[in-house]
Amino acid sequence: MAQVNPSRGDRLVDAVGERVRRARGFVDDTEPAALVVVAIMTVSIVAALVGFLAVSDWTIVPFAVFLLSAAVGWVRYQAETAFTIALMMTVSTILILGLIIVFIFRESIPVVQYESAKVFGVSVPGLRMFVQPNWDAVSPPIRYSMVPMIHGTVMVTLIASAVAAPLGVSAALFLSEIAPATVREVVKPGVEILAGIPSIVYGFIGFTVLSPWASDQFQVTGQGSYLFVGIVVGLMALPTVVSVAEDALSSVPEAMKSGSLAMGTTDWQTMTSITLPAAFSGVSAAVLLGVGRAIGETMAATVMLRGVPRLTEPLVNVFYGQETLTSIIARNYGEADGLQMDALFVAGVILFITVLVISVGAQYIEWRMYKRLGGEV
Amino acid sequence: MADARIRSSQLVNETTTEADAVAALTIGVSAALFALAVAAMFDQVSLTGTIAGAQTVTLLGGLLTLLGLTVIALGAGSRLGYVESTPDPSAGLVAGVGAAFPWALLGGSVASGVLGLGTGGGLVGAVVVGGVALVATVIPREDVGSTVPLGGLLLITGLVFATGVIGPGWVWELGWEQTAAISAQFLIPVATLSTALYGGWAAAKAYGGFGARGRHMGAYVLVYLNAISIVAFLFILVAFVVIQGVPGLLTGFEIGIGAGPEISLLGVSVTLPVSIPFVMNGVALLNEFQGVLPAIVGTFWLVIGAVLLAVPLGVGAAVFLTEYAERGRFTQVVEVATNGLWSTPSIVFGLFGFAFLIPRFGNGKSLLSGMITLGFMLLPLVVITSRESMLSVPDEYRDASAALGVSKWQTIRSVVLPAALPGVVTGVILGVGRIAGETAPILLTMAGGTFVPDTQTVDVIGSFQFISTPPFVANPALLEATSALPYQLFALITAGVGLGSNVSDPNGFRWATALVLLIVVLSFYAIGIVTRYYFRRRLQHT
Repeated sequence: MAQVNPSRGDRLVDAVGERVRRARGFVDDTEPAALVVVAIMTVSIVAALVGFLAVSDWTIVPFAVFLLSAAVGWVRYQAETAFTIALMMTVSTILILGLIIVFIFRESIPVVQYESAKVFGVSVPGLRMFVQPNWDAVSPPIRYSMVPMIHGTVMVTLIASAVAAPLGVSAALFLSEIAPATVREVVKPGVEILAGIPSIVYGFIGFTVLSPWASDQFQVTGQGSYLFVGIVVGLMALPTVVSVAEDALSSVPEAMKSGSLAMGTTDWQTMTSITLPAAFSGVSAAVLLGVGRAIGETMAATVMLRGVPRLTEPLVNVFYGQETLTSIIARNYGEADGLQMDALFVAGVILFITVLVISVGAQYIEWRMYKRLGGEV
Repeated sequence: MADARIRSSQLVNETTTEADAVAALTIGVSAALFALAVAAMFDQVSLTGTIAGAQTVTLLGGLLTLLGLTVIALGAGSRLGYVESTPDPSAGLVAGVGAAFPWALLGGSVASGVLGLGTGGGLVGAVVVGGVALVATVIPREDVGSTVPLGGLLLITGLVFATGVIGPGWVWELGWEQTAAISAQFLIPVATLSTALYGGWAAAKAYGGFGARGRHMGAYVLVYLNAISIVAFLFILVAFVVIQGVPGLLTGFEIGIGAGPEISLLGVSVTLPVSIPFVMNGVALLNEFQGVLPAIVGTFWLVIGAVLLAVPLGVGAAVFLTEYAERGRFTQVVEVATNGLWSTPSIVFGLFGFAFLIPRFGNGKSLLSGMITLGFMLLPLVVITSRESMLSVPDEYRDASAALGVSKWQTIRSVVLPAALPGVVTGVILGVGRIAGETAPILLTMAGGTFVPDTQTVDVIGSFQFISTPPFVANPALLEATSALPYQLFALITAGVGLGSNVSDPNGFRWATALVLLIVVLSFYAIGIVTRYYFRRRLQHT
């Protein structure tokens, strides 16, 4: 491309102009009656959404109008109606993510204001949650610190990643490069089923079998340790790592591998010097997604941990498990109200943001890899 | 794929030498030690007991010592030229780090624990010993570097166990504020297990004659072991739940004409020939056997509701993304949003449902809120899988249809959607299996008490009614809190000892609940996987 890149503003104007042209084209091409139906559908669904957000009992009316107009449209102008509905459904996925963001952030505002702390005379909202380690919802001074839970989540995630990453990548190598077809047909569904075992079942086994065993082995008082929660959560994150890493490994072009093998290398040399480096970003995206799963894992942590939000002494003491960001929500939502409930929403916000950043990062890494590999074929 | 390549070619005809036989035997011994250590870890083999007349610990130590000596001998034999091998100049940094890690652990523990140098001394010890092991692995020729440090590790561990320096009664108090100790019950199996792995790895390298082939052998042993362990883990897990759960599930099981409860199907009432009270009863004071029927029905409706919400939305969005929209900013945003939704933790969905749905549906936990929350969780999965299967429909199909002069929508309806249907169905079934077992979202949005009586088994269809005030349609069953299998299990776990007043055998009841949940979820997976095979085979045949 020899031409000079147009400035950002110009591109924006072009893009908007393109949209407008396309919309006008659609309007010109479509029958006026169909346009009316589509317009009624759009207006009524937006009205229903507004009514629903405003907690109105009358939400049903615009929704009924939408259903009616959609039915009429389906019979008379199927193509236009189908297009409109499909577009609405697509928008709804973004809308849901937006609603999640708005609602969990909104609920967490009061406690963020309550936990303000002064830095050089400037009041920073929410800072006190991260600079002192006390969570006490009962006796004054009432404090909602996130530090113990962040510590717990970090410990569990580190241990889980240490379990899931090497085992997962090795299993992915096995499935994509090593296993004969028949073995793969057995192991692959096995890994899928492993992903399907409900987390509460893992938690139950951990609670009844692993926790008593662990407290016996390490002679700790009471039950629940980050070490074993981490191992269980790591096993639960394993299938995610395996399936994403396997996709990345099999997307490495066969020509690259054959070229290496033709040089007289062993299969293993090809894997370590060609396949793994080529798929490195995809494999690291897989590990990242596994980490995201581990951070968000709730039920196993809830039933296996002690449920006392405090730091372990010393910090590296993995034989005691107190509380994670996820488990504090699942454990305390019942009796919590007011500020405490809002504090649980803060935990939710931290989880959501962390995992979203990880997910977007992993997607970016994957996208770059496929682009690069695509260029080389 | 992998099978397209030539897997092996016999260029040199070698006969099995004694060294090969020794190396193979060593791998076998490592495998046996590995199995023994796993058994000891889960108390299947007692550390204080005896195996074949020898003390377990002494036997483990002796075998480790033997393994260590053999590994060193294999390396030395190759170095001194007694055995034909093709070693590289160095074992490489990966092997070096691999060997340095256990040595550093050993050095650190000895420095801080035995010599009493504290945390700082422990760190210094770990760095020094680990560094020496790294150098000893990387600097010499590969046959020495990849056997002697690991063999030495095996030898030391073995001797420590065999001579009773660390016996079954050994305990190391860590001296932390929250007390914890490392006991022989833990240390001996774990140390045996990991050192046996190292021994097996080194022996496999020797078996391959070091060099590229040796590394290939060593890596394959570990990768195969990992794959086998994962499958074995899955089987043990499922088998364990089945064994523990079956007695509770079958309490009061009867078979014979007229044994079961009466049900009415389409107006005809039938008496079932089997009675499994656990899945046919609720909990009531007068019940002879208590059961989880309301939770099963709750899970059923939950899944139906989530599917009704998520599948049309997801398939519609996938149609728009693949067929109508051109790739650009908008599709990218939707993609990022769906992937973001997919990885959002389930408890965050629960919080969202709590803040968004509950105030809008009668200000209390309700089945409807649970359905919608789970529907939102299912949505990204449906979008992703439907999109994949629509993208895999060949463009020739679309072109052929367009060439007939039909509109785009007709092409989508009669060509793309039918061709993509198998993939969509499989994706939906697998997704349903996933959400059916979710606890966290329904915890905050739907689930009520620990036990739901018989009378509260939800009847969604029967309770629709029309009313004169807006919103004109009401369904009390949808707006009531109810139970579902995963929540039931969670409630049973947290209820603890208080359970005994309701159920005669609380533990059996819990395991049976876990088993029923596992059966429900895994049957979705089984159906999904079988459907995929069926469609794939049919595609291959035509």
